[in-house]
Amino acid sequence: MGRALFDLARETGARSIFVVGTGKNVGKTVAMRAIYEAATDAGVTVGLTSIGRDGEAVDAGDAQPKPRLFLRPGTAIATARGVLPSTPASEILRISDLPTAAGRLLFARVRGHAFYELVGPPTASGVREIVDGLLEFAGLTIVDGAIDRVAALAGGDDAIVVSCGASAAGTVAEAAGYVGALVQRLRVPAFDPSQPFVRVDGALTPAKSAALIAARESRQVVVRDPTQISLTGKAATHALSALTVRCERPLRVIAATVASIGRDRAFEPRAFAHAVADATNLPTFDVYAGARAA
Amino acid sequence: MNGGALVDGATAQALDVAWLVKAVSPASEYGRRVFAELAPFVPGEEERASQRASTIDALATACDVARLDAVRDAMRAAPDASAAVARASMDDVLADAALFELQRFCDAVARVDSLLDGITPAGPIASDAVREIAAALEGGRAGKFGFYLADGFDPSLRDARERAARLQAEFDAARGRAAERVGRELGRDDVGGEEFIVMRAGARTLPAGIRVVREAPTYYLCALEYDEPTLAAMQRRDEAVDAVADAEERVRAKLSETVRARSAELDRAARRLGETDVLAAAARFALSYGCRPAKIVQQSSVRFEGARFLPLVDELESSGRHFTPIDVELHDVAVLTGPNMGGKSVCLRTCGFVVLCAAFGLPVPAGSAETALFDEIAWLGIGAADAGLGGLLSSFAREVVRLRDVLARPARKTFVLVDEFARTTTPHEGKALLIALIEALRERGACGMVATHLGGVASDAGVRHFAVRGLRGIPERPAAADLNEALASLSRSMDYTIAEVGEGQPEARADAIALAALLGLDGGLIEAAYRALK
Repeated sequence: MGRALFDLARETGARSIFVVGTGKNVGKTVAMRAIYEAATDAGVTVGLTSIGRDGEAVDAGDAQPKPRLFLRPGTAIATARGVLPSTPASEILRISDLPTAAGRLLFARVRGHAFYELVGPPTASGVREIVDGLLEFAGLTIVDGAIDRVAALAGGDDAIVVSCGASAAGTVAEAAGYVGALVQRLRVPAFDPSQPFVRVDGALTPAKSAALIAARESRQVVVRDPTQISLTGKAATHALSALTVRCERPLRVIAATVASIGRDRAFEPRAFAHAVADATNLPTFDVYAGARAA
Repeated sequence: MNGGALVDGATAQALDVAWLVKAVSPASEYGRRVFAELAPFVPGEEERASQRASTIDALATACDVARLDAVRDAMRAAPDASAAVARASMDDVLADAALFELQRFCDAVARVDSLLDGITPAGPIASDAVREIAAALEGGRAGKFGFYLADGFDPSLRDARERAARLQAEFDAARGRAAERVGRELGRDDVGGEEFIVMRAGARTLPAGIRVVREAPTYYLCALEYDEPTLAAMQRRDEAVDAVADAEERVRAKLSETVRARSAELDRAARRLGETDVLAAAARFALSYGCRPAKIVQQSSVRFEGARFLPLVDELESSGRHFTPIDVELHDVAVLTGPNMGGKSVCLRTCGFVVLCAAFGLPVPAGSAETALFDEIAWLGIGAADAGLGGLLSSFAREVVRLRDVLARPARKTFVLVDEFARTTTPHEGKALLIALIEALRERGACGMVATHLGGVASDAGVRHFAVRGLRGIPERPAAADLNEALASLSRSMDYTIAEVGEGQPEARADAIALAALLGLDGGLIEAAYRALK
C-alpha cells in the first residue's frame, strides 16, 4: 500500500503528501507510516509532521493504544520541543517561533532508530510554514493532517490522501457516503477565467447555494479553495450537481485509504474498500489488508 | 521602552510614541529585555542622555545600512539561550535543544563582534566564558547550523552507539526473517507492521509465528509473534539502547556543568548582546531618518532647525508628498497661529517628538537641535482625548478636566503643547481662559507652545508669537471633487515654515473660506461667506 501511494504521489510531482481523515482512528497514522517506509526504502529523505498529535503510545482522550511512529536515521521531523525524546539524541536543525502546547516547534533530524511523537502547528499558516521548512531538509514531506487545515495546501504542489474508517461512521454506506461527499468537495476543479464566472466571497454556504440555484445561475461559481465549500451531505451533493462550482486554488486528492477495524465496530474489509472506491472514484487501499481495493 | 512619567496616554497618542517604539525596536529577545527597561532620562541626567545619543550617532556614522542590517539579522537569528543558562545555573542537565540555543548564542556574539570590530567603544561582547562554551559545543556542530550530541564528545558514547547499531541490525534481521517467512506462507510482501488482516477465504490455516488479535467472520486481525531468538535479540538491543541513553546523559551533564560554572558571565554577555541590539536599532533609526544628537541643556528651552515629525514624514512619503522641515526656538511659553491645514498641530507634534527623542537619549530628527530634559511632556487640547472620561462630558469639559489634572501634578519641569484649547466655547471667554493658562504655565516655569486661532492672545499674554507663513495665494481648485488632489493643491500653495511675528505685525489669516472652497464646498455658499466677511 505504502509503495503504491508513494508512487501515485510521485507521479503527480508532489513534494508533500497530506494524509487527512474523516475522523479519529481512521488509519491516518498507519497510512502515513506506510508511505514513509516506502519512500525511505526508495532512498528518499522524508520529512514528517502532524497537525495535532501523532505517534503517542496511547490516545490522550480515551487512553486506548495508538499506532506509533518508529523512525529511521536521516528522517527530518517537525515537532514540539517538549516531546522530542532525549534519547537517542537527535540533530537539532532549527527552533521555530511557532508555539504549541508542548513548547515551540523545532526541526530535527533522526540519528538513531526510535519511536517519535509528532506535535504540529495549530494554524493553517503554521502548517504551510512547517511544510516548506521541512522541505529544506527533506525531499518529501508527509503530514498527518486535519481536514480543516487543508486550506494551507491549496494551490501548492501537495498531494492529499483521504483516510476513512469504521470508527467514523455507523455503517459502510454512511462512511462511504461521507467520504464520497468530502472527496467530491475537495476535488472541485480550477475555474476557467475565459468563461463567465461569479466569485463567492468567503464560504459557499447552504444559504448562498440555495440562492444561486434559485436564480438559475449558469456561470461558474468560484470559491477561493475547496475548503470554502461549507456544504455536507445531501446539500453538498445537490449543490455540486446543480451548480458549476469551481475554485481558484485547487487541491490534488490522489487516493483514499480505509481502516475497516475501528474501536467500537468493524466493517467487512473488502465490501468497505469497494464502497469507498465507488464513492470517491479514487484508488483505494486497505491499511490492514495492505491491498488496493479498486 | 516605556514613557514612564514623561508622557501619559493622551500625550503618547498625540506624539505617536508607538511609532517611535516600533522604529527603534531591537531584533532579538536579548534586546527586547533591555528595551523593556529603557526609561527616559530626567532633568539632572543631561550628560548621560548626551552620551547615549553620541554613542548611537557614532555607531550610525561608523556603519552603513547594510552593516547595521547584518548586525540585526545576526541578532534576529539568535535564539534566546537565557532559559538554558538559568537552568544550568540551577544544576539542571540541559536538553539538546538548549545546547543548540547556546551554540547559536555564541555564534551570534562572534558574528556581531566581527561586524562591529573596532566600532563599539565597549569592545567585543565575547568573553572568556563565551569562548569556552563555544569551544565546548563546537564538537556538536552539524551542518551549517545544526547541533548534535556527536560521538566525538566522549569515546564511551561512540562505543555505546556502535554496539546499539549492531544489535538493532541483528534484531531487524531476526524480525525480518520472521516477517518474510510469514509473508511467504501467506503469499504477500507487506507483513511486518504492527497489525495486519488475513482474510479467512485466503488462508485455511494461519502460519506459525503470528498471533490473532481479533477474529471476525471474514478475517483475522493478526500481529507477528516473535520467537525466542528474536525476543533475545530485542532484549539485547534494548539494553544497548539504555546504555546509549546513559552515555548521552553523561555528555549532557558534563556540558551543562561547564555552562553552570560560567553562567554569571554568560548572563553578562547576553546583557551586552541585548544592549548592542538596542543601540544598533537606534543607530539604524538615526541613519534611516538622518537624525543627529541634540545638545542637551539644563535651562528649560527647546530650539531646533530643520526638524521633522517622522510619523507624518513616513505617511506623506508613502503618498509621494514631502514634509517641510520647521525651525522653532522656545525659551518659555509661546503662541503659534496660522491658517487651517497650515501645520500648527504638526509643529506642536514636531516639538514634542524632538523633546521625546532627546529624553530617550536618541539622536533627533533635526538638522540641529538643543533641548532640555523635562519631567513631563503634556499635550492639551485637540487630540488629547482621555478614554477614561466616557461620553458624559462635552469636548470643552474634557479639555478642562484634562487641564485640571495636568495642573494638579506637582510643579515640575514641564514641556507643554496646547492645541487650540477652549476652541469650542465663546471666543472671548476662550481667549481669556487661554491667556490665564499661559500665565499659569509661565508661573510654573513651563516651556512650550500654544496653538490657537484666537487673535491677540500672544500680545495680551505678553509672550512671543510665531505663525505658519500660510497660503502663498488661492490654491487651484481641482476640476473633480477629488480630496487627494485638493490636498496636493493645498500643499503646493501652502508655506508651512514658521516665522516669529513682530509687535504690531498683522495676525495671520485663517484662510478658512479659501480652504472650504478648495475642499469642494458649494460655490454659492462660499460667495455668501465672502460677502458676510466684508
